[in-house]
Amino acid sequence: MNIRRVTRWVQIVVFCWFAVMGALSPAWGGETLARIKAMGMLRCGVSEGIPGFSEKDAAGNWKGFDVDFCRAVAAAALGDSKKVRFVPLRAAERFPALKGGLVDLLMRNTTWTLGREAGLKVKFPGILFYDGQGFMVPIDSPTADAKDLQGKTICLVKGTTHAENLADYFSARGWHYSQVQVDSYGDGLSQVLEGRCQALTGDVSALAAQHLGFPGAREKLRLLPDQISKEPLAPVVRGDDGEWVTLVRWVLFLLINAEENGITRDNVQQLVVDNPTPAVARSMDACRVFAKPMGIPPDWAVRVTAQVGNYGEIFDRNLGTKSPYDLERGLNRLWKQGGLLYAPPMR
Amino acid sequence: MSQEQIVITLIVFSVVILLIAMDWLDLAVAGLLGVSVLIGLGILNQEDILSGARTGGGALSLLFGGMVVARTLRSTGIFERFGDLFLKATRGSGRRFVLLLVVVVAPLCAFLPNAITVIMLAPIVIRVSKALEVDFVGPMVLTAILSNSAGLLTLAGDPATFLVGSACGMTFTAYLKKVSLGGLLALGAIVPLLPVLMRELWNIRQPLTVKTPPEPIRRPGFALASLIVLMLMVGTFIFGEFLPTPIVPPGAAIIAASLALLLIYCVRVEPVDRVIHDIDFKSLIFIACSLMLVEAVSKTGLLQSLSLKMVDWFGAELALVALILLAGVGLLSGILANIPVVAASLLMLKGYLVAAAVVPETALIDGFTDWPAASLPVFVAMMFGATLGGNATVIGASANVVAAGICSANGGSLTFTRFMRYGLPIVGTQLAVSALYVLGMFWIS
Repeated sequence: MNIRRVTRWVQIVVFCWFAVMGALSPAWGGETLARIKAMGMLRCGVSEGIPGFSEKDAAGNWKGFDVDFCRAVAAAALGDSKKVRFVPLRAAERFPALKGGLVDLLMRNTTWTLGREAGLKVKFPGILFYDGQGFMVPIDSPTADAKDLQGKTICLVKGTTHAENLADYFSARGWHYSQVQVDSYGDGLSQVLEGRCQALTGDVSALAAQHLGFPGAREKLRLLPDQISKEPLAPVVRGDDGEWVTLVRWVLFLLINAEENGITRDNVQQLVVDNPTPAVARSMDACRVFAKPMGIPPDWAVRVTAQVGNYGEIFDRNLGTKSPYDLERGLNRLWKQGGLLYAPPMR
Repeated sequence: MSQEQIVITLIVFSVVILLIAMDWLDLAVAGLLGVSVLIGLGILNQEDILSGARTGGGALSLLFGGMVVARTLRSTGIFERFGDLFLKATRGSGRRFVLLLVVVVAPLCAFLPNAITVIMLAPIVIRVSKALEVDFVGPMVLTAILSNSAGLLTLAGDPATFLVGSACGMTFTAYLKKVSLGGLLALGAIVPLLPVLMRELWNIRQPLTVKTPPEPIRRPGFALASLIVLMLMVGTFIFGEFLPTPIVPPGAAIIAASLALLLIYCVRVEPVDRVIHDIDFKSLIFIACSLMLVEAVSKTGLLQSLSLKMVDWFGAELALVALILLAGVGLLSGILANIPVVAASLLMLKGYLVAAAVVPETALIDGFTDWPAASLPVFVAMMFGATLGGNATVIGASANVVAAGICSANGGSLTFTRFMRYGLPIVGTQLAVSALYVLGMFWIS
């Protein structure tokens, strides 16, 4: 057999190897987590600055409700809540950034909808914040409620569900309005303060936080009582990695369960490690056992709670009583307290 | 991917291109080595290889099928007959030869895959070149470039054209109305360059010697059956998707290859082993490797991050973005296989249009067709860049790689540099003409 013939057969074998290797090999799971571990960093897409949810403080550090959830996921995945790179995104940029692989987790006041999950093929691991759409108007405006906005110009943020909600609500009542699309809540507030829009519409929580955080808003603007839509805000991940969806989902459930069991940042060592009740001990066993298939450290639940706190602590610190915004928990209370927060058991 | 991995990927990719460009290493070996390094360093994993196979498996099947059918036809003596007819039509004039190539290749490639056309026409081109006593490498390059360019004439002319056209919701007829003229202009832009780029061939006049009549086709039944297989393949390319069970072109090529091999086996003209042995696996391996390399480059996220950067840099200036895409994708397509480049660029373009709030987020859904008229020229610019950019280098399009393989198998040498001598001026002119066409589309819309 001459060299030429051998070379030819080698080429054939290599070609066949390429052709069949893909078909025979099993798909790898948990690719997102593997990449995060390789980079040693979670990339979290957040807003460019929504007070209480994601904003930079004077020292340039990110803080807020969404920011803390990113930190909780980093604590679970990498064992350290500081290993997060925050990627500020405009609303219209969030899905291209997530689908393009520029962020691993999107925490940007995103409403869970059928179209987004089925059409965009992204996954919403669970509802983090129950919100609704409301309005903010100048304090001296004669507008008492949404009905008085007929014929007025309303500002809204581009690339959000707010335009559709507004159109549905107004057209169902035969009301007319005109709209101005802006890049951010900040731009919208400026437009209202300058009189180019008679109202700004958006998530009630974000409007309330802006009301206190945006310069001049507290003195010159007020919120209307109306809430025209349901806005279940949720973390978002790409739809092609079920293991990553599971991890993010159970970090959320851990935060809720921790609050339900009274486990806080300060007492987690005592209640979970030193002197756990049988129920807590069983939950911790489950966390340890299932950490391996989830690909995360066995003490992930303790680390998350110790570094970030439970759901209630995160809420209070960023939006509630311990924040400048002092927002009501409302629907975001535990189910035992009349709210909608209900997490499956960690067994 | 970490910063280090991104840097390594770009270095490996650049080294592979350099090795090929400088003719320091065989292109298939260079490609395989590059892929091996990326696998060894954990940058490419099975998921990426699967993804690469999903993107490029169709193109590889198409080429394999076309090669088998062409090789079967070679055993019939039909190519010699067609070659003689073509030679007579040239009347010994190099100029007529070149112009006839344009006239024959363009309509064929409007419907047939480019590389298949190159495979089918190669024996004829080589035969005529030898009869005119000119080097066949130049005409082979021209055949590849013409076939790539003619892929813009119809929506089905090129996989890249089809990918972009269908992504922006264009029908076959809508394409004919809005884009085909641009493809025709890009194709026409080659003709004025031919007297300069192929001066020797253009000026040659060779008296055709009276030869003995060609040998009669010894097995007319086999020849007829082979032609039926070819026609079946071509017919399925064009009408396969309208069948009750739709058959896509790669499927048609595999079916035709199976029938051709069955024919060879039954008629026993020659062993099936020898036919398989003559298939240009080296080109197929290189194309497979280039798909994996593009997968790695795409995984760096650089293209995707560009979509957001473009919003910062250019806002919603669609005409400017279209021209930049035409040039940028054209450049990229010159050194990368254009199908995965188009797949990644489409993601980037859709991301840009959503991020710039030109279209709603639902535009990211597969099958979204409600694109505003103003966005169509941007898609067309990307399509022209991807299809025409491949003309620049020997590795820019599968038809070029196949042409190089055929030249090598017939004793010619088509190097990276030699291809570029023809390719670069043609691509420059074609992209300039396309830019004017795209601007015209903006002006009309």
